[in-house]
Amino acid sequence: MAKEPNLKEIERRAYMSYHQDGLLDIFAGLFVLGYGLGIYMDIVWEFGFGTIIPAILIATVLPIWIAAKRKITMPRIGFVNFGIRGASKITAIFIGLMVVGLGFFFVFTLAASQSGLRQWLDIIFQNGTLIVGFGSLAVCTLFGYSMGLKRLYAYGLLAMIALVIGHFTGIFFAYILVALGTTVTIAGFALLIGFIRKYPLQGGKAIAE
Amino acid sequence: MPNSDINVENIDPLIHEPSRLMIMAQLYIVQSADFLFLLRQTQMTPGNLSAHLRKLEDAGYVEITKEFIERKPHTALALTKKGRSAFKQYRRDIKQIADNLPE
Repeated sequence: MAKEPNLKEIERRAYMSYHQDGLLDIFAGLFVLGYGLGIYMDIVWEFGFGTIIPAILIATVLPIWIAAKRKITMPRIGFVNFGIRGASKITAIFIGLMVVGLGFFFVFTLAASQSGLRQWLDIIFQNGTLIVGFGSLAVCTLFGYSMGLKRLYAYGLLAMIALVIGHFTGIFFAYILVALGTTVTIAGFALLIGFIRKYPLQGGKAIAE
Repeated sequence: MPNSDINVENIDPLIHEPSRLMIMAQLYIVQSADFLFLLRQTQMTPGNLSAHLRKLEDAGYVEITKEFIERKPHTALALTKKGRSAFKQYRRDIKQIADNLPE
C-alpha cells in the first residue's frame, strides 16, 4: 500500500531544484565583490554612499538575475509558480531584515546625537568587522534554513571566519569582501556548469508537449 | 479478520496509483507548474506523464492550460478545486487507514 506522500520533502526538493543553478551564488558573490571594490576605491563611505551603493547594486543585479533565470534555468527544469506559500518565507525574511536594518539605523542616529551613547557607537565601529562577520553567519543561516540550501551555511561560516581573522589581524575590510565575493562567485559558476551538464537543453517540442 | 475501521474502498484509485500520486503531490505544493517541471521532478517519460495527466484532466483534478510565453508554446498545469479537495481527502483516508493498523 502506498504511504502518505511526504509533502514537505517534495516541496523542499522542488524548491531546491530551482536554486541548484548557482545563479544565486554568482549574483550574491558579485554583490559582495562589488561592495568590496566600492570600499577599496573609496566610493562607498565617501559621500554617504554606504546605503546607496547596495541599493544601486541590488537594482542592477536583480533584473539580470531574473533574466538569467528565464534564459538558463527555466528552459532546463521548467517553470513553476510556488504561489503565496513559497514567496512568503523569503518575503518574511526580507521584511525581518529590513526591520532589523531600520532598527539599527534608528539606534545609530539616536546614539550619534546623544553624547552619552557615543561611546557605544565607537565600540560598534571598532568591532565592525567582527559584527559584520557574525551578522553574515546569522543572515546566511536564516536564508539557508528557510530556503533549504545547506551551502549557505558554509558561506556564512566562511564569511564569519574570514572576518574574525580580519578583525584580529587587521586585514583591510575591502580585501576580505573581495576574497569572499570572488570565492562565492567561483562556487556559483562551478554549480552553474554542473547544472547545465545535468540538465541539458532538450529538443523543444517533445518536452514542451 | 479485517478491522472494520479500515475502509480501503474509500481510497480514490485514480490518485492512489503511484505515478499519479506523485503528480498530484507535486501540483498540490505549487500554484502551477509546466510540463517540463513535472517531467524533471517525477522522472517520468514524456509519454507516460502525458497519459497520466490526461486521466487526471478527464477526472477534473488537473487543469491544463496552453499559452504562449514570449512567443513560445507553454503548458501550464494546476490542480483544480476538485483535485485539491480530492487530494486532501485521499491524505485523510490514507492516514486513517495507517492509524487503524495494529502495531
